[in-house]
Amino acid sequence: MSPEDDLKILIITTMISSYPGANTVGQARLQYSPGTFIVRVPDPVMLPEEFYLDSFAKGIDGIIIMSSGSDCPYEGAYPRLSKRAGRVYARMKEQGIDTSRLKLTTICTVCKAAFLKEIREMQQNILKAKAA
Amino acid sequence: MTETNTSALEPSGDPVRVGVYVCHCGGNISDVIDTKAVAAALAAHPNVAVSNDYMFMCSDPGQALIIDDIKANHINRVVVAACSPTLHEITFRKALQRAGLNPYLFEYVNIREQASWVHKGDHEGATRKAVRLVAAGVEKVVRQDELFPIKVGVEPHVVVVGGGVAGMSAAVALAGRGLGVTLVEKGVALGGRVADLDRVYPTEERGADLVQDLTRQVEGHSRIDVRLGSEVVGLDGHVGKFAVTVRTSSAAPDDQDHLVRAGAVVIATGFDHYKPAQGEHGFGESPAVVTLPDFQAALRQCPASRRGLQVNGRPARSVAFIHCVGSRQIDGVHAPQADGKVNDYCSRTCCTATLHTIRQVQSRFPDVDVYDLHKDIRTYGRGHEAYYEDASRAGALFFRFPDEEPPTFAASTGGEYAGTVTTRDILTWGEELEIPVDLVVLATGMVPRDIASLIDLRKLPVGADRFLQEVHPKLRPVETGVAGILLAGACQGPMDINEACTAAQTAAVKAAILLANPTIELDPFVAVVDGERCDGCGKCLAECEYVGALTMADVEQAGATVRHAVVNPAMCVGCGACAAVCSPRAINVAGWTLDQFDAMVDAIIAEDVGALAHTECRAGVRHIEFAVISGGN
Repeated sequence: MSPEDDLKILIITTMISSYPGANTVGQARLQYSPGTFIVRVPDPVMLPEEFYLDSFAKGIDGIIIMSSGSDCPYEGAYPRLSKRAGRVYARMKEQGIDTSRLKLTTICTVCKAAFLKEIREMQQNILKAKAA
Repeated sequence: MTETNTSALEPSGDPVRVGVYVCHCGGNISDVIDTKAVAAALAAHPNVAVSNDYMFMCSDPGQALIIDDIKANHINRVVVAACSPTLHEITFRKALQRAGLNPYLFEYVNIREQASWVHKGDHEGATRKAVRLVAAGVEKVVRQDELFPIKVGVEPHVVVVGGGVAGMSAAVALAGRGLGVTLVEKGVALGGRVADLDRVYPTEERGADLVQDLTRQVEGHSRIDVRLGSEVVGLDGHVGKFAVTVRTSSAAPDDQDHLVRAGAVVIATGFDHYKPAQGEHGFGESPAVVTLPDFQAALRQCPASRRGLQVNGRPARSVAFIHCVGSRQIDGVHAPQADGKVNDYCSRTCCTATLHTIRQVQSRFPDVDVYDLHKDIRTYGRGHEAYYEDASRAGALFFRFPDEEPPTFAASTGGEYAGTVTTRDILTWGEELEIPVDLVVLATGMVPRDIASLIDLRKLPVGADRFLQEVHPKLRPVETGVAGILLAGACQGPMDINEACTAAQTAAVKAAILLANPTIELDPFVAVVDGERCDGCGKCLAECEYVGALTMADVEQAGATVRHAVVNPAMCVGCGACAAVCSPRAINVAGWTLDQFDAMVDAIIAEDVGALAHTECRAGVRHIEFAVISGGN
């Protein structure tokens, strides 16, 4: 097992864009580490700050929020999510949690390369932080 | 007022018994993931009563396995680990329903697109991952409530906002399906921008004829009520039961507002032409620089004569057409629009419109020299490329300018021509060219029409390009985030007449499907308030963008009057913004509760599925059912 595969990365996906995007990656048979766990949500705006902090406390190594960004069909949801992520970063700093363990990004239904890049970068960041 | 939701905890007394079914998908899954090992691992979960693997779970025998276990083994929750839920979620829900189980007591785990297909070189890793994902699915489903579709009474009537070709097409299609239609047009006549066009591509019909034909159909239909000189000033209610206030300013003061009850609303407000900034390619500084719509109007009025092409009383012997004016703008190269952003989108129609116009010039005034200056030629529609080929064969010269260096125009004083266009041409390896011209035609793109007041009525979603935004171009085209409000035509982005009418037909069909029965059944994934947990703080209200979806109300609870949040299920979109700020977790999206997500994370982290705690799910099933919403606002 490679060090990347030993990580537990939570990938929060939206039903309307990044979850189908993850399917597109699969349909293209593009490969990534099995240390990744995709969770489907109507919209990540529903998850409170505590969800992220508690997940880290439980042992999740990294969380990638793959939002719909400005294509989000829910009015005002993305700005709220973005602000919430900012507050989570602030609390992570306060608690001494490496902020590179959380990433808010936008992934669409066909963003294959970006999907893989986000996973790769998150794994590299976590492993680098662990080694330091 | 609408009736509000009812939700109650109805302990069934039955233990939670989960059936887990792991699909091989032929070999799509089982060639990589050890499906037997996954099923065996899940059998150790304290809530799992049956755990099996099977060749094709979606097949009739596969579904029969589930149905038999529900009936014979008293399974009351089901997890299927298979392909993507977009393929078979409904298939399995229906199987549960056939077995007499609530179809929402089901969880679908994707171990094909998101496991076996993406971890082909690591069978062990893929299998370990599948175990964790299925365990997370089990943890979610044991906390799942019994849900029922939201039933909403229906008004078999549609308000169409905008009387252009898209609005008229939608109105005719809706009326043809037996629905009443109120067609609201701000102007004094139907037809919109197509009425201004001479010939339209690719059919070469006259715009006026198209409009006349549609107008005849609209005005001749007994189920269509046309309101000219009118606009929508109120839009209350929800899908199935909208209350739309239509204001006709020209009517008597006490008779201006007309209330229309409608089950759906189609927005077909169209677009505006981009107006170039002062000095953009010489626009506004020289009469020799005009926009494409202005040129088309001038061309229509210019008789074919020995005097040749005349525009604004001046001869046009040499004409340069410049593409992408107001479209595909680049930050730092083009001046930003009023909102501080450039129009970085492609207006899609202007390439063909320009070439179509060039062909008209060439056929009527063959002596005119035509120059076409473009970034690219995007003639994407069927038969559109022929305009490019024909224009080229007829002598038009094509120059391709760099994105960051648009052509410029300098007027001349006393020269033979009105001025000179200067451009760099990529096709001749960057050569700088000076083209003497009498006229410059700017192929201006489409910009969103200012419908801010309509948008504000229901907080309609607007995209980064400022056009109205559909939920998803492939999965849910022409639908907005507000159920029952649909989009038709160029209000959602640049498109030609053909596409606008296709979108209008799509919107009409979707509205007709919605309103086909006396009640609409909506997905139950909306916010639900647990009255016992709600402390009435009102934080959720501040998070909700949807007017009327969430309110605070005094309700009777255990003999006392308490104030807490109340959801109107027909108006809630289920985004969950409210849930994130509720500390006592009193408000949640049904089927997607925060407790479920926490439990899923616990399962992903757990090293041993058997060590996960047995859950009795609040000693039973929470039964969430909404009364039929029959009232309007």
